[in-house]
Amino acid sequence: MFGLPDITLLTVGITIVVVIAALLYWGLIFEGHD
Amino acid sequence: MAADLVTIVVVSLYFLGMLAIGAWASKKIKNTEDYLVAGRSLGFWVFVLLMIGTVCSGMSLLGVSGLGYKVGWPTIWEQIFVPLSIGFCVIFFGVKLHNVAKTSGYMTVQDYLAHRYESPVALRSLAAVAGIIVSLIYLVGQYTAIAIVLMWLFAIPLWLALVIATLVTMVYTAIGGLYAVAWASLIQSVILIVGVIIMAPIIIFYAGGFTHVNEVMASINPNLVMPWNPSGAFAVPYIFSFAILLMVGLACAPHVINNVLSIKDVKYFKWAPLAAFLIYGAAMFLLKFTGFAGITMVNEGIFALPKVANAQDYVILYGIQYSIPHIAFWGIFAVIVLAAVMSTTDRLMLTIGAMVSWDLYKKVLRPDAPDKNVLLLSKIVVVLSAISTMILAINPPEMLAILIWMGIGVMLSTFAVPLLAGMYWRGATRQGALAAMSLGLVTALIFGFLNYFKVVFAGVNFATIPLHFSFYSFVIAIIAMIVVSIATKKTAEKILDETQTGWYISKD
Repeated sequence: MFGLPDITLLTVGITIVVVIAALLYWGLIFEGHD
Repeated sequence: MAADLVTIVVVSLYFLGMLAIGAWASKKIKNTEDYLVAGRSLGFWVFVLLMIGTVCSGMSLLGVSGLGYKVGWPTIWEQIFVPLSIGFCVIFFGVKLHNVAKTSGYMTVQDYLAHRYESPVALRSLAAVAGIIVSLIYLVGQYTAIAIVLMWLFAIPLWLALVIATLVTMVYTAIGGLYAVAWASLIQSVILIVGVIIMAPIIIFYAGGFTHVNEVMASINPNLVMPWNPSGAFAVPYIFSFAILLMVGLACAPHVINNVLSIKDVKYFKWAPLAAFLIYGAAMFLLKFTGFAGITMVNEGIFALPKVANAQDYVILYGIQYSIPHIAFWGIFAVIVLAAVMSTTDRLMLTIGAMVSWDLYKKVLRPDAPDKNVLLLSKIVVVLSAISTMILAINPPEMLAILIWMGIGVMLSTFAVPLLAGMYWRGATRQGALAAMSLGLVTALIFGFLNYFKVVFAGVNFATIPLHFSFYSFVIAIIAMIVVSIATKKTAEKILDETQTGWYISKD
């Protein structure tokens, strides 16, 4: 797809999904109080 | 190319706008706290865009596309781990620093180090001197980037390009402090993000589309479309060290981490990491793709890069010039590039000003100095740092990205271990921090020198070491911290409680 090997699409795609999921999780659990 | 009247007007208006922000911000400056941490009053979007603007540097436009042009897809990890550095900084440093700063009144990250390690003179001075060295290295890379843009746009000599860029950035930073830097970054980041989202697809389309670009890259060299190289730079081990370098090194850089002290409410840290990653990540991927498009355009003879040592850093500028048919747009795109570079340059100069005036002068040399003297010294140092790095940038480095990574590498080796160990390990001691910081700094400078000048020493070719040079000095700093801390007297429990030291991010 897009002229790229599967390994490139898979490794880059999975890394991006994991990073977004981790930052979303942080946003949901963090309850900062001033 | 030589600029037409429209381009000159557009760029001049941008410069005048930045100076106007400096003049407006200067009216809000009543004391050093206003100047260095914007009175701790920044809102969510000003903070998010300040972080993006600080991290998004000369490398982001010229270096990212330049590296993409030279190495291809194995460098794509830069586009994930640089945006992620903002989240790392906020989550692992920001929450704790902000919470402790509420009661301790920190102005700089050196204030935290001095407090946590009970070292008001030695560690604070070492941290400030190390911070000044790495910021100056980084700043030279930024001025080189500005000069490349102005030389391209106006066909003027390097020295004149450097003088123009230095004067404008120096004036608004010196008079307006962090208020000016933050609001300038807000505008610069919006210009950059909107500009890249419009500009990059045009260049990629002009090169034949995303799929065609990848197919041409694969036909030139199959490694250009692989996620890593089979060996050497951008092989799997190198990418691992590269990820640590960018994510942790940028997060603990003084000019980035000091931003967390300027927000109004800690709640902003809830969604700032995700917002910054999505916005900045999208722009960074598009930028990298313009470098890939450059490979196709050069391969198909659409344009040829200039015959200079750092030719690849010009790829995005040539891409713009040949893809955008109307001359009137070039000035706007030049402003986009200038915005990216200046948003980091201003923050770096202010950070150097803070380290000299606050950490060295007020906290070490003259504790009884009146606030107005500290404020005046901050402004003088901003001016001096701008002029000195401008002189250093007259001989531009072979490749912009290499110089900027070198700066980040020294930041990683110097600051990451004392900060992470200080915040999360109650066993970390003052002597451990001093050993980690000094060994990290010295070994990073030595390894960086050996790597940059391709030295072969004791049978080791430092040009082809499997990991980024900073990773070795980072490991040396970790070992120094652990060994020396175990062997020396523990920090007082009262200090550890005051600085919220322990294996948690927030006690809430």
